[in-house]
Amino acid sequence: MHDHGTEAVKAGEKIIIVGNPNVGKSVIFGLLTGRYADVSNYPGTTVTLTTGSYRMGGVNTLVMDTPGVNTLIPMSEDEAVTRDILINEPVKQIVQVVDAKNLSRGLVISIQLVEMGLPFVLVLNMWDEANSRGINIDVEKLAAAIGTTVIPMVGVERKGLKELREALDTRTFPSIAINYGGVIEAGIRRLEPLLPEVNISKRAISLMLLAGDESLKPWLKGHVGINDINKIESIRSDIQDKYYEPLGYIINQIRLKRCEKVIADVLSKSLAERSPIMVHLGNWAMHPVWGIPVLLAVLFLTYEFVGVFGAQTLVDLLENSLFGSHLNPFMTRVVTLLIPDTFFQDLLVGEYGIITMALTYSIAIILPIVGTFFIAFGILEDSGYLPRLAMMVNKIFKLMGLHGKAALPMVLGLGCDTMATLTARIMETRKERILVTLLLALGVPCSAQLGVILGMLGGISFYVTLLWIFVVALVLFLVGFIASKVVKGESSDFVFDIPPFRVPILSNILFKTLSRIKWYLKEAVPLFILGTLILFTLDKTGVLKVIEAGASPIVVGFLGLPQKATAAFLIGFLRRDYGAAGLYTLAEAGELNPNQILVSLVTITLFVPCVANSMVMIKERGLKTAAAITAFIFPFAFLVGGVLNFLLNGFGIKL
Amino acid sequence: MDYRKTKEQRLEEDRVDELLELIWMLIEDGEATADNIAGKSEDPLASSLLKDIESLGLISIDHHSGKVTFKEGGKIKAEQIIRRHRIAERLLSEVFEVEERQIEDHACELEHTHVLGQVVVDSICTFLGHPPTCPHGKVIPRGECCKKFSLDVKPLVGALTDLRIGEEAKIVFISSKYHARLDRLSSLGIIPGSVIRLHQKQPTYVIRIEETELALDKDLAKEIFVKKI
Repeated sequence: MHDHGTEAVKAGEKIIIVGNPNVGKSVIFGLLTGRYADVSNYPGTTVTLTTGSYRMGGVNTLVMDTPGVNTLIPMSEDEAVTRDILINEPVKQIVQVVDAKNLSRGLVISIQLVEMGLPFVLVLNMWDEANSRGINIDVEKLAAAIGTTVIPMVGVERKGLKELREALDTRTFPSIAINYGGVIEAGIRRLEPLLPEVNISKRAISLMLLAGDESLKPWLKGHVGINDINKIESIRSDIQDKYYEPLGYIINQIRLKRCEKVIADVLSKSLAERSPIMVHLGNWAMHPVWGIPVLLAVLFLTYEFVGVFGAQTLVDLLENSLFGSHLNPFMTRVVTLLIPDTFFQDLLVGEYGIITMALTYSIAIILPIVGTFFIAFGILEDSGYLPRLAMMVNKIFKLMGLHGKAALPMVLGLGCDTMATLTARIMETRKERILVTLLLALGVPCSAQLGVILGMLGGISFYVTLLWIFVVALVLFLVGFIASKVVKGESSDFVFDIPPFRVPILSNILFKTLSRIKWYLKEAVPLFILGTLILFTLDKTGVLKVIEAGASPIVVGFLGLPQKATAAFLIGFLRRDYGAAGLYTLAEAGELNPNQILVSLVTITLFVPCVANSMVMIKERGLKTAAAITAFIFPFAFLVGGVLNFLLNGFGIKL
Repeated sequence: MDYRKTKEQRLEEDRVDELLELIWMLIEDGEATADNIAGKSEDPLASSLLKDIESLGLISIDHHSGKVTFKEGGKIKAEQIIRRHRIAERLLSEVFEVEERQIEDHACELEHTHVLGQVVVDSICTFLGHPPTCPHGKVIPRGECCKKFSLDVKPLVGALTDLRIGEEAKIVFISSKYHARLDRLSSLGIIPGSVIRLHQKQPTYVIRIEETELALDKDLAKEIFVKKI
């Protein structure tokens, strides 16, 4: 979504930012290009490429921000993105960002960049955090040991930016070298002549092949003949046979040992001075006992801020006061005065009018809710709470054939399911990605939908809100549990970085919220208008009546809802939040009782994913999987709604 | 240990042991031919010794390709030598922290039957937590003790899951049959030699390595063997 305006500089050599996950690559990217790339405090914020441009010697140069990697032998799709860039793109300069606190993990990547024969400068980011933990790095010695420029930086405070800019002007090819021992070196020598000429050295590709990089296979097929591929395979298995442990593990070990040697010379430790409150908070958030009250407190505060302040106070202010009492009556008067034709009057200010419906829904009802949600969500993202949450819920996700890491895309789905479906890339196996995509599409309400729903439920009682959460969570869990038995494939291990707990930086939250609101206005509002136009047309041509009558056995008979709710489900096809907003106005008009509200909300929560989400599903998982998921969800949503209606009536429950 | 044997007999035995050991290692590397063995052996009379042990029925030499393979008796004997040697390497590197280049020499002296008997080797093996590989990553043939996993000797090296919260430990080896697991752990810096601190066990294991906190499943923690510091 960020790639306009850079076409002019797309050709030619690029500046590529690489580094471990969660070291601040996107912050450095922002400093160089002046563009905002999503910045958060958890690994895996960037799963796709972001590009921008940087003026270098009077020429605009393309800068690429890449997903974080711990090794250039990828284990998940987001890591493969980074490796592919390095193989395929012409490189002007690489900026390797390292967390100064975790030097050895960074240097392992430096070594691989050196092996690739690429020029780079090394940024030691979060220099302040390293210092406050008593870690001192001798920058000059480190620069000498690796053979390149090393720049200490505090990205979020722009410290070190000037030095980085200066360093970018010279290309330095670092010189640190590794000997992997006779057997592996012999293997490299045998592999090199079989490989094609590419941007990076044959030695580096040989090592990737030896380490058993499966993701390199498609690339290899495009560049090397079938005979040579077979030769490569047999050389690899020859070398592997000489070791008990996998070659990738042995190569990693040799690299890490080399890094330790470098570090022993340049790093010294003194007494740490840390802010104990943040450390304690971080520990409580993942404590087996205290973690639960922390989680409840987080949920409660979010509910108060988004569900009560946003969805009730602010919506009330905008919808009833601004739109209801002033704007809509005023516009109605203006429109009736100016346009004598009732058809066009209705188009703008009628029941399904662009101003009275599309704009009222999107600006007055949804915007304040999404806005407050984005703020709350930004705080959660930047504090480092989300990875701790992932850890807390690991065991529940295990039952669904997933693990705690899957909680990240699921929680992100509460922001936007479309973006979250992209984040499913952080899952390592195909099965896990399909399961996450399914659960997101099925029942994770996005911010807009969530807001409207909370607004409606908050109007009844907290107890009904809990019931709605319970029903949706139960359905998600059951579907996940069954799907994990049906979908074939493997599950991966849960090994997950927990970043330090931090006080969020206000400016980043503001930036993030603004860019997300901008995105909402650009993407959602036009769809709202489109949906309104469709409804308007259906209404005027009388087709709406036919559909309402046709859907009546399901909507009225099975779900026990008034016929008018059909329109809400219809626009729900475009966006679920829009459908929810339709229900919202019905409820406001007193046409739904609490039972009906719960049934209709559960149904719309589980309803088909929005158009944008469907597109991403097709792109990421393929048409077949996406179609299968949608074909399952559509009838299933009504089924759950119907069963719920049946149970409520059967037990005579009046909410 | 058999004290009735003469010094000459023992010396002769050592030479056979050395040769069997070499054959084992060359078979591991897929390079066990008679020429290769004779060339790589430090024994000046390796060629004739090779013929001797062939006639003893320990090995067979393919007279066409020169390829050397073990017969049953030779295999068992060689397996025990290799096991003693590699267990000794582990002992020297983990417990006595002998410098890496000296380990080989000492281990070579310890590998002979008359130095380390079966019972002692099994005790050391247990004490070290039944390591699957030597410090160089080569496999250690399993002994009887590994099958029983006897707990008579309190192991020095135990699974990460046996640590108490807050304890620091050094990783000695990671015993996993899943390649992807080893790759992933090593890419996060979890390799033999790294120092970790156990932070918590529930709801998942959390360890601290350098300045990073890592959450991981119990399944994985069970496979990481550590020595308390």
